[in-house]
Amino acid sequence: MADLCLEVNNLRKNFGTFEAVKGISFSVKKGQVVGLLGPNGAGKTTTIQMLLGIMLPTSGVVNYFGKNFSKHRQESLQRINFASAFNTLQGRNTVFENLKAFGLLYEVKNLDKKIVELSEYFEITALMNQRYWDLSAGQKTRVNLVKSLINDPELILMDEPTASLDPDIADKTLTLIEKLRAERNLSLLFTSHNMNEVTRICDEVIFLDHGSIVAQDTPLNLTKLITKAYLKLTFEGDHKKVESYLTDKNLKFEFKGKNTVAVETEESLIPKIIFGIGEEKIWVLDIEVEKPNLEDVFLTFARKENKTDVT
Amino acid sequence: MSLSRIKGLLLQEFYITYQSLEVIMDLLFFSIITTVTFGFFYSYTSSTDKTLASYLYMGLLMMEIIRITQYTTSLNALWNIWSRNLSNLFVTPLSITEYLAAQMISGAVKAGVIFVLISFFANWLFQFNIFSVGILNLFLFYINLVIFSWSFGIAVLGIIFKFGSRFSAFAWSLVFLLQPIMATFYPVSVLPKAIQYISYSLPPTYVFESARAALVNPSVNWYHLSISFSLNIFYFVLSLWFFNQMFKASKETGQFARNEG
Repeated sequence: MADLCLEVNNLRKNFGTFEAVKGISFSVKKGQVVGLLGPNGAGKTTTIQMLLGIMLPTSGVVNYFGKNFSKHRQESLQRINFASAFNTLQGRNTVFENLKAFGLLYEVKNLDKKIVELSEYFEITALMNQRYWDLSAGQKTRVNLVKSLINDPELILMDEPTASLDPDIADKTLTLIEKLRAERNLSLLFTSHNMNEVTRICDEVIFLDHGSIVAQDTPLNLTKLITKAYLKLTFEGDHKKVESYLTDKNLKFEFKGKNTVAVETEESLIPKIIFGIGEEKIWVLDIEVEKPNLEDVFLTFARKENKTDVT
Repeated sequence: MSLSRIKGLLLQEFYITYQSLEVIMDLLFFSIITTVTFGFFYSYTSSTDKTLASYLYMGLLMMEIIRITQYTTSLNALWNIWSRNLSNLFVTPLSITEYLAAQMISGAVKAGVIFVLISFFANWLFQFNIFSVGILNLFLFYINLVIFSWSFGIAVLGIIFKFGSRFSAFAWSLVFLLQPIMATFYPVSVLPKAIQYISYSLPPTYVFESARAALVNPSVNWYHLSISFSLNIFYFVLSLWFFNQMFKASKETGQFARNEG
């Protein structure tokens, strides 16, 4: 219990008869990065809003650092922070003015020094006197991250922090987050639609769909839920022999040219297929194997194929 | 209650105010233009009926206290909704009491500064000395009008939180709905009997009645002002209760989070 930053028990949100979040439970440990994934309408944002206290749950309990959030709101919010691509700071005010106001809201000691340190770390010193609404998307993201660190939080809730950024800036932002995590042992609850980001940054992934958790595991273990892989072979020899072999084995395949075939199969059967084709006196020139990734898992759950509840 | 958090909000409000042409126009420009325009009207009519001219001009100047306090109390939320920053504020340890306290202080200070400024303009340009009603009287009028405007502003804020920024126009217009019935420019006795009952249920009515009387005799009408103050306490408590209901409902329905679009 002591090393849990966030513990969610049976959290539920109903809008009239519609159940947006259906009694979900999960936790975030100290130093852990947990990804909250799901298609649009899965309940991610509603969950985050309840965790931040800007939406009241219908039922359920949220504990931060072992204390009930509804009873210890101020104490909990003092130790966490929030960053989102969808919430911006006060556009009319400069970056410094925004950070100053937020620093006071968190009662930060030596605030000016803190703002200088963070702005140097995130390389936004030159932006301090610019109005927030004049910044580019990448600059705004960095300023939002500074805001989210102003109170030295132990847990940050990040709602798609890299949405609307180009790949280069998104990569730099992610690198900064990784660095911060390593240096400060930060815990993160991270939502994103970018599966590469999630694979890169998250220790654990929670898939939400229609308000329920449909899968929860490490990114690697989740990809193992999808047993299908794609094998692409380029060969020399009679393609009819290849076709006959694959038909005999009841495999799904498609010729991509006279001497190239793509086979959809279980990952564990790939060596057997290559060996079997070789035994047919076919000379295999090139082998490409496409293993399932987190995106395949996401699409599988989102499209409700092969749904496996592993929670 | 944290003074640091109240200071943080006041600082944000201060930055928005001095950098926003809209706020400067809504507050300072509008007040000065009203003062000047009706100052000329006062000069013109005072030669024929000085009492009537004074009633009108004093009512206008004192109405600015209500307008500015109520506008400021309600409007900070809208600046933050339009900047998609309101949620950011409320995911900090900021309490709703601290938030309202900051808006109330901001409203009272802005109204006080602008009222003193336009009063000096009125005296300097048109020789209308509102201070002739007595400093204590003026202070008590200001206190009562400010508390009433806080109550009204807090209620409007609750409506905006609950129903969204489509009700944003209430922040700068709804209070004028009461202007005809709170005897701003004329005695309550002018109003139809049924409307008089409503008028006497509003705290500013007693302030405006006292102010008109004070132009002739500047002694404090403690009876009227204590009724005004008592009604103010009642409406203030009512507005806090109403706001809490609206705020809770907006968090239950999800409207609070949706306000930012």
